[in-house]
Amino acid sequence: MSAEQAVTEAPDGAAKSSGLSTKAKVLIGLGAYLGIAILLLLIFGSDGKNEEFQPQNEFKLEPWITLELGGIDFSINKAVLYLILASALTIATMLWISKRMQQKPNRVQTAIEVAYDLTKNTIAGGALDTKMAARWFPFLAALFFWIWFSNMIGFLPLPTNTEHTVNVFGAEIPSFALYAATANLSIPLVLTLVVWISYHVEGVRAKGLFKYLASWLPPGLEDMNPAAKAFIFVIEAISHFARLISLSVRLFANILAGHLLLLFMGGGLAVLLGIAALGALTFPLAFFFFILEVGLIATLQAFIFSTLTAIYLGGATSASH
Amino acid sequence: MELLGYIAAIPLAAAAAGEEEGGSFLVSPGLGLMIWTLVLFLFTMWVLSKFAFPKIQEALDRRAKTIAESIDAAERQRRESDELLAEYRARLAEAREQADDIMARARKAAETAEAEATAAGREKREELVSQAKRDIEAETRRSLEQIRGEVADLTVLATEKVTRKSLTAEDQKRLVEEALAEVDFSTLSGSEN
Repeated sequence: MSAEQAVTEAPDGAAKSSGLSTKAKVLIGLGAYLGIAILLLLIFGSDGKNEEFQPQNEFKLEPWITLELGGIDFSINKAVLYLILASALTIATMLWISKRMQQKPNRVQTAIEVAYDLTKNTIAGGALDTKMAARWFPFLAALFFWIWFSNMIGFLPLPTNTEHTVNVFGAEIPSFALYAATANLSIPLVLTLVVWISYHVEGVRAKGLFKYLASWLPPGLEDMNPAAKAFIFVIEAISHFARLISLSVRLFANILAGHLLLLFMGGGLAVLLGIAALGALTFPLAFFFFILEVGLIATLQAFIFSTLTAIYLGGATSASH
Repeated sequence: MELLGYIAAIPLAAAAAGEEEGGSFLVSPGLGLMIWTLVLFLFTMWVLSKFAFPKIQEALDRRAKTIAESIDAAERQRRESDELLAEYRARLAEAREQADDIMARARKAAETAEAEATAAGREKREELVSQAKRDIEAETRRSLEQIRGEVADLTVLATEKVTRKSLTAEDQKRLVEEALAEVDFSTLSGSEN
């Protein structure tokens, strides 16, 4: 075939393949994807529902070192390990960067600087006046970085699953598992309590107790009768208590749901239902959710938690409600 | 203090509920874990606010200052270079003007010199020509005198032979004058006119 022929035929062939690639290729891909799952289902069949597998036990805290002080259980468990890891990692990273601050930053320093700037100017500077921002910046920044590191190490598989062990040359080592300290309600709840108490204290300090309580009422109710005002005050008071739940559960539930999704998509669903073929369908989704969790949710939730903290602090101290 | 009681009640109530159901430990906070969290978080915050954040802030401030200074310095240098450029341009214009001036003067001088040389040359030529003319005239005149003398002698000789008698000096002179009046010498001096 001459070169001229090849040139004239090439665009024709390209048009044919691109005509296939747009819709048909996606459909063929999905069909193959389903086909493999159905084929696997036909080969392996269903083992019936698995009653033994308890997915929630991935999040169960078994005391590794039992410790009790004054009737309170201080046992070292998985969550405590993750908290220590998160704290150590936060401190180590921030100290390491702060000691090596260069005039011309490398990539890690740039990333930390962007995060620092985010906490300083967007979170603290965006919701608070200059004086309040200066006072609360360390708390807000520490919240952001600490929650972020807690969330992120939650996506590193670590040998923490003592329920199931792996026998390596006779040594029983815990199997690798994903866990996040923030997927445990205690941790977001105590942070929320600190935030909740802090903003009330700041509010009382800025306005005095009665003026602060009065500032809970939305503006524009000056002419309302006292009974209706009292009713609205009760609603506002309830909303303040609801913040305890919304702030803590938002973080906890997001991280828990993310980890449950990864658990189920990564094979948990197939094991639970006893249908091995289902794993072929869910496993690719696990990658998708992993990327979503690491790339978006982990950072977003840390950002939301500290931003809401700043907004609560700003709302409690600002002149008009 | 009422609040602390409330806080303490949450995990206790949840723990009591958690005994019965399989998954409820997920939402039952543990007081020990909460204290662990508080201690670790406060420690982290203390370390960060004491050692990390001030240094990062300091470095960022230093960089901001350096950048501001660099921009100022660049602005200053730009202004200086602008001034220098303007000065050089002015000097260049001046130099060009001077060069033009020098060129004009040189051209004028050259023209003057040329005109002078031309005039001198013309004068010299004219002088030479007039000298030559004078020489030629003198030579012509001398030749004419000579020819005239010889013609006169020859005429006398011829007349003597023809008439066989000597002429008196007066006759002779008259005859010569007559003969010469007939001869045209214009052809001899024609080239000179």
